[in-house]
Amino acid sequence: MIELHRVWRVFSVGPVKVPALSDVSFRIAKGEFVTLHGASGAGKTTLLRLLYRDDLPTEGEIDVLRYDVPRLRRREVAEMRRMIGVVFQDAKLLPGRTVYENVAFVLRVLGTPRREITPRVFDALRAVGMSSRAQAYPAQLSQGEAQRAALARAIARKPLLLLADEPTGSLDEAMAGEVLDVIKDIWAGGTTVLFATHQRAVAAALRQRTLALQAGRVVKDEG
Amino acid sequence: MLGFLIGEALRDLRRAGRVAISAILLITLSLAALGGFWLVSSNIGQATDHWRNRVRIIVFLKREAGTPESTALVQRVTAIPGVSAVRYVGKAEALGTLKEVLGKDASVADQLPINPLPASLEVTPTAEGATPDGARVLIERLAALPEAEEVGGGSQWIDRLAQARRLLNAIGFGVGAVLALAAILTVTTATTLVLHARRQETEIMRLVGASELMVRLPLLLQGMMQGLLGAMLAIWVLIGSYALVAPGLEPLVHQTLGVERLSFLRPYDVVGLMFAGSVLGGFGGWLARGRREP
Repeated sequence: MIELHRVWRVFSVGPVKVPALSDVSFRIAKGEFVTLHGASGAGKTTLLRLLYRDDLPTEGEIDVLRYDVPRLRRREVAEMRRMIGVVFQDAKLLPGRTVYENVAFVLRVLGTPRREITPRVFDALRAVGMSSRAQAYPAQLSQGEAQRAALARAIARKPLLLLADEPTGSLDEAMAGEVLDVIKDIWAGGTTVLFATHQRAVAAALRQRTLALQAGRVVKDEG
Repeated sequence: MLGFLIGEALRDLRRAGRVAISAILLITLSLAALGGFWLVSSNIGQATDHWRNRVRIIVFLKREAGTPESTALVQRVTAIPGVSAVRYVGKAEALGTLKEVLGKDASVADQLPINPLPASLEVTPTAEGATPDGARVLIERLAALPEAEEVGGGSQWIDRLAQARRLLNAIGFGVGAVLALAAILTVTTATTLVLHARRQETEIMRLVGASELMVRLPLLLQGMMQGLLGAMLAIWVLIGSYALVAPGLEPLVHQTLGVERLSFLRPYDVVGLMFAGSVLGGFGGWLARGRREP
């Protein structure tokens, strides 16, 4: 599903080279749930961005869903991303649209037939326990609800891979628990999950394989 | 899908706000200027066409010819390239025409001891013969006739009118082009603001795998909508100006150019203006660039 081989990502700050990822290699099989744990600045977000081709590695091989990611053409990038769901710490909901419209937006963008949109939106909202909040605007949602709405948007397209970048990072314990339960349900449905977090407690609570990142290097792969 | 794209484009247009209004007004201005020059030019064109059909070249003859002789002369001149028709005007007919022109003063002509007017040939040139070069060549050929005393007439003033029309077209296109360029830049600015306002949508669209075309189509459409709105306003401005100015101007134009009614733009000119507006706006929208993917 995901395979990285000796991946480097080095940023240039003037004459200074700053490695964000150094010689990262690992493999994630289809259907796995993997936690990517590391402190802020460890390289978690950089790594996830490389996986959905929002950035390019300085060096190394990246294979996601059998796509040779660094060498993809623009059309193939779009094709690959249609199979990947991404959620972020800030839910990135569109503020002028209701929860329903936020989820429907991505289906419309991808040309889903009109008659399929409403049932699929409500399937996704039910899966995250948000169907009763379909007409609410993002400003009317709690952070936990906003994150669940973002998850609904990510899974409405039935992705094969879910990349979660600190989705519980700004939530209190109770809300984080709700979001984790939803993500586990999505995983139970057959979606491969790569979950990035800086919260040791969250990583421990998930009790899944954990990749520990430290200063851009994978220092532990356990579970 | 089209409904979704149009909906997004309308949302973007609202977001662009005042800058979009400026862009629409600039497109209105540029197309109204272009359409205005076009309107004046097409009416001048109508006048030149009208008068070009009435161009006559008069060949004054050295002496009056008899019937068989004049028939042969008419046949000979008709065969000259660039000649469409020839009519022989005898001395008596010329005097009769003069009396008609003099009207109540026709008796003056009766005081003349002899008819001083020469016989002549009234030559109607073909379309090629009525052009500036064609008329020059034809006049040279007619002047070479042994029977010809002098050749008069031609199309110089009509050519000057046609020249004025060409100049007007050039000025119109020049002014229109400068204003159109300003309009394109304004639409580009409006679209750049839209791009900034819709960066979250764009980010989500790219994230979920929308094609680049799908990301950019709403921008193109909102640009085209600005252009179309500008063109429609320009057409209303032209219709209003025409309705206001034409009735007062028509008597003067009739007297000077012989054109009875000033005509408005033809339906396909109007469609052309609307098309031009959409292209201007769409081009401006397409030029705007946001963050590029790696």
